[in-house]
Amino acid sequence: MSLKDLLTPFTAWKNVFEDSYVVKDPFNDRPGADRYRGFHKNDISECIGCGTCEEICENKAIDLVPVEGIDTKDGDSGLRPRVDYGRCCWCALCVDVCTTNSLSLSNEYTWVSEDPEDFRFIPGVDKKPWDDNEKGWKKPEGEYNFYEPERVHMEHLEPEARDNSFIEMVKGFSKEQAQKEADRCVECGICVATCPAHMGIPEYIKAVRQDDIEQGFKILYETNPLPEICGRICTHKCETVCSVGHNGDPLSIRWLKRYIADQVDSEDYKKVLGTENIEKNDRKVAIIGAGPAGLSAAHYLALAGYNCTIFEKLPEAGGMMRYGIPEYRLPYDQLDKDINYIKSLGVEIKYNTSVGKDILLNDLKREYDAVFAGTGLHLGRSTRIPGTDHEQVYMAADLLREISLGNEIPLAEKIVVIGGGNVAMDITRSIARLQNKKYGKVDVTATSLESEDIMPADREEVVEAREEKAIVDPGWGPEKIEIEEGKLKGLHVKKCLSVFDEAGRFSPTFDEENHKFFPADMIVESIGQGADLSYISDDIRDNIEFNERGRMVVNEYFQSKAEWLFVGGDIIQGPDVIHGIANGHQAARGIDKYLNGDLKYKSE
Amino acid sequence: MKRNKLIWQPDRSKYPEHDSNGKPIVDLKSQKFTKLWQGPNHPGVTGNMSLELTLSGDEVVEAKTHVGYLHRGFEKLMERRTYMQCFPTSIRMCVAEPDSNEYVLSAAVEELSGIEVPETAQWLRMLALEMARLQVLLRVVPGIASTLSLGLGSQWGMYMREHILDRFEELTGGRIYHMYILPGGVRGQLPDGFKKRMLENLDMIDGFIKRIEDLIFSNNVFKKRTVGVGILKPEWVDQFGVVGPPARGAGFKRDVRKDYPYLKYNEIDFDPFMATDSDIYTRAIVRKQDLIMTVDIIRQILDKIPNDKEIRAKTPNVLHLEIPKGEVYARSESSRGEYGMYIVSDGSKYPRRVNLRGPSYTHAVALLEKMLINANISDVHAIMVSLQTCPPEIER
Amino acid sequence: MDKIIKDLTSRFKVTDYIQQRPNMAYVTVQKELAISLITHMRDIEGFTHFVLLTAVDWIEDNLFQLTYILNSPDKKVDLGIRVMIDRENPTMDSAHHLWQQVATYQRELKEMFGIDFPGSPRVDESFILEGWDDIPPYRRDFDTLKYAEETYFPRDGRGSNDPAEYMKKKLYPDEEK
Ligand SMILES: Cc1cc2nc3c(=O)[nH]c(=O)nc-3n(C[C@H](O)[C@H](O)[C@H](O)COP(=O)(O)OP(=O)(O)OC[C@H]3O[C@@H](n4cnc5c(N)ncnc54)[C@H](O)[C@@H]3O)c2cc1C
Ligand code: SF4
Ligand code: SF4
Repeated sequence: MSLKDLLTPFTAWKNVFEDSYVVKDPFNDRPGADRYRGFHKNDISECIGCGTCEEICENKAIDLVPVEGIDTKDGDSGLRPRVDYGRCCWCALCVDVCTTNSLSLSNEYTWVSEDPEDFRFIPGVDKKPWDDNEKGWKKPEGEYNFYEPERVHMEHLEPEARDNSFIEMVKGFSKEQAQKEADRCVECGICVATCPAHMGIPEYIKAVRQDDIEQGFKILYETNPLPEICGRICTHKCETVCSVGHNGDPLSIRWLKRYIADQVDSEDYKKVLGTENIEKNDRKVAIIGAGPAGLSAAHYLALAGYNCTIFEKLPEAGGMMRYGIPEYRLPYDQLDKDINYIKSLGVEIKYNTSVGKDILLNDLKREYDAVFAGTGLHLGRSTRIPGTDHEQVYMAADLLREISLGNEIPLAEKIVVIGGGNVAMDITRSIARLQNKKYGKVDVTATSLESEDIMPADREEVVEAREEKAIVDPGWGPEKIEIEEGKLKGLHVKKCLSVFDEAGRFSPTFDEENHKFFPADMIVESIGQGADLSYISDDIRDNIEFNERGRMVVNEYFQSKAEWLFVGGDIIQGPDVIHGIANGHQAARGIDKYLNGDLKYKSE
Repeated sequence: MKRNKLIWQPDRSKYPEHDSNGKPIVDLKSQKFTKLWQGPNHPGVTGNMSLELTLSGDEVVEAKTHVGYLHRGFEKLMERRTYMQCFPTSIRMCVAEPDSNEYVLSAAVEELSGIEVPETAQWLRMLALEMARLQVLLRVVPGIASTLSLGLGSQWGMYMREHILDRFEELTGGRIYHMYILPGGVRGQLPDGFKKRMLENLDMIDGFIKRIEDLIFSNNVFKKRTVGVGILKPEWVDQFGVVGPPARGAGFKRDVRKDYPYLKYNEIDFDPFMATDSDIYTRAIVRKQDLIMTVDIIRQILDKIPNDKEIRAKTPNVLHLEIPKGEVYARSESSRGEYGMYIVSDGSKYPRRVNLRGPSYTHAVALLEKMLINANISDVHAIMVSLQTCPPEIER
Repeated sequence: MDKIIKDLTSRFKVTDYIQQRPNMAYVTVQKELAISLITHMRDIEGFTHFVLLTAVDWIEDNLFQLTYILNSPDKKVDLGIRVMIDRENPTMDSAHHLWQQVATYQRELKEMFGIDFPGSPRVDESFILEGWDDIPPYRRDFDTLKYAEETYFPRDGRGSNDPAEYMKKKLYPDEEK
């Protein structure tokens, strides 16, 4: 034993005079660190109630609950997360995964309450003292992601390759690409409500992820009998509400649908869908128009055993999908793939048969148990400005139909298109291709009332039109068409300042000082289409309700007041294929009910 | 009158008698033995665990470790959680040094799924692991003296530790459960000014080490109580799976960081301390040297840590992350020694089996039961604490 | 490592060899040869450090997998040894005579999986689960969630909504599939 060993311990005495380390007032003196993981905060206006936070919570600490004052609407379930602090472990995985970045943890950790129930609340809704704390755990921005925010790039044909041909532009996903894209889905299902057909979107995306194509295909057909078509040209409203899109790109839902449909060969459809043997009943349904609405109704009725006959005015089926949408967006073989399957279910299509002319609606009423009409909007609307009666002024719908029919269309070297919607872009881009083929150069200008930021056409349509060397010059109101000695010279326009009034009604205002002249040899009007309902004879018409805008009134099963007549598609709802499909499906349910005596136009 | 001198009778060959298997014959009814439960509510630094001791006089003739007070079946609970959900669950298998759990889980997941962790994240992981070791050692180095009623060092140590927890709070958002190392990388960059504050803390700890050297390691009483007491025989090392400081105190230079370098340990200059006397005092010295080494390693890390933005590898969506079929054992060196996790994947989103190998599993059960035989009752907790037992990792 | 594996393949008929990483491999060995293989590894090949012993329940194949991980401190390599045993009446030869610590592992496996190791010291004494009377809880057919629901009472007022279903209920309740 050394003397040192005896003495050194006593050196500890010198600490007697040291200050003690005590936080005197922890409530005020000791805030949590900048990244502290304390009680939750939620920016309620940002949160969409997608439930991804609930999904990842390993402690089941989160419930999604309705909140008064927050409505359920497109893109927002109206639910909000409620946290049970009896279970929460403050891991903040919920924050890191939150699709909208609305959720965070504050740096508050000293809060106490005697009532255990206080430790279960809806952050952001139940007001708490730390709601305004700046500090605390936030999703580490840009540092990492729990799922990939960027979509898998979809390859398109280069502008040079597509300039003068109608070959399909979008190449479609490979398996690897599709699975990678499908992996981004958080399976919240927010999109389902927005899809007019309420397709099982998260489920079929899951099937892609798990490479179970057959399962995915079955899910598609539950709600949509035209998946090859919709996988290409659907207006994909679902993607506008995708929760992943809040913090990155939304899922490429449409391309994934196309991917599934592309993987299944026509010959295998019946086997995969289990429709090889359908039990037929002896009832007959007539369908007018082989557009998406008519085809969808026929499909679901056929599955239920009904004998369906479609009467179609034009030489081929598809409606606007064939005679409107250009081939470079929707190739005919893909259109036929979907339609042929429906035909293979025993649906008969009588082509070149115009109801009202070749056969009367009253005949159908007599010979069939029920009728579904989905005749679409095929009459082009005119601006009716001076000069529109000139022979070099055309309607977009007519030209597009002629192109599809394989006929040559009148094609000037200098063309102006009036209209800013997708149809206008379709005709503009079709003209660009044809001009390129014929003249080796493009000279087509599309002009619309709406300025660039509010043009109704999809953004990519405008971009791609420009890539194809068409000119898009929006924001001008057409005044008159200049005609010199019977020859069309061009279009006079004036600057449009606003399109809608404060109440959102159509009421354009113009800058009368600011004019412009687009020289042209030919003008195409593309400002919308109207319905031709002349096939509904007066005796029937008297039995049907119409609203003030001239639309037929139907109940939730698309049944008209003449109870044997169901109507759907563009003439009722529109304005796209998927609404037509949804209407047709719902009408098929209605017809089934009606024929079983379970449906009246108005339930008492 | 001649006084009879009371002599300590260490010769246990005669009493108590042993049966043919070498087990002592204990007849409680004979009133010559005492059963004593140490724990589970023992105010030591060991958590909830109890020792069932059979005493003859003040000498232990039989010891049994009882665990189960903390059992939640974490391994099983993980079988129904996705890999990302496992990460906050895993940490609960060791309260004192949860970071090792995060690391071995992440390392195992990454190895099975072939995820490459970004450079900076590897350094940050190493920083977190060493900080965890540091805060543990700040407690247990002086803690061994507390078991012998010299609590002052522990109070100093706790004070030092609070500073490291402050740094943890800054870096990770949590003080005890840091939840910082997650599959793919880490969850945050170094905050501004962190290095400076950490270096100040390390300087303070240098002073603390000097003070406890004076207070504890050169303390005659402490030496009397620990030198030559609680001998862990070298031949027991493999028999009882002894790892970490107890192994290094018994002449086995085993340190996962050196033997199976992970993260960036091969870019760090360090040499694990080894001694051979293998008593409580030696193990305490080994830990104190570990503490000095840890401080040095952290200084090196702070010096070398790159300042790169990327801290987590891109992984597939964690909500449906599936891991290829396979099995893996990932290990690291915790303050107590080799700490490893064995994960079996059946190719699904959920682990098929997770098994944690913590040092205390052997140290606190088979080894402790062996070492306590013939120990004096007053040395029991010192022996236990010198093995740094941690019950949650035994029963998980 | 390669050399060792070759040797093991001929001597102990090991199969399913996987080189997980340069210094860690896994092999499968028949139940009867397992203990002699482990003894061989310890005494001849220097795998003196016993890392762990645990079980995996392959309930669909009616098998338990036992995994012994051995480590050679000198060569710095690990070998994982898998042994598949019948799940119906699971027993395995004890290895406690090789390393005294193994008895603890075996005791836990008996309790948690119901795998017996005859002759292992105190193998029947409860280890973690004093007073447990259900099936061994680490078996796959023991449902922890069900157990928790039956054993504990849930907190009042909990309950959640699925966003998609809730939106259907609110926005288009009448539409059938
Ligand atoms: C150029 C253009 C591009 C479009 N692009 C898209 C797009 O990208 N995505 C999208 O979702 N939607 C698009 N649409 C809209 C979409 O095509 C329509 O909303 C959809 O086709 C409407 O379906 P429907 O069944 O109601 O009518 P239609 O598709 O118009 O079909 C009606 C059918 O009924 C037939 N018919 C009409 N009257 C009679 C009669 N008396 N007797 C017999 N048959 C009759 C017609 O010949 C036609 O075949 C586009 C439309 C156009 C014009
Ligand atoms: S993940 Fe975010 S947006 Fe979704 S419900 Fe939770 S808090 Fe709201
Ligand atoms: S912090 Fe973790 S435990 Fe708490 S609610 Fe969020 S995910 Fe669940």
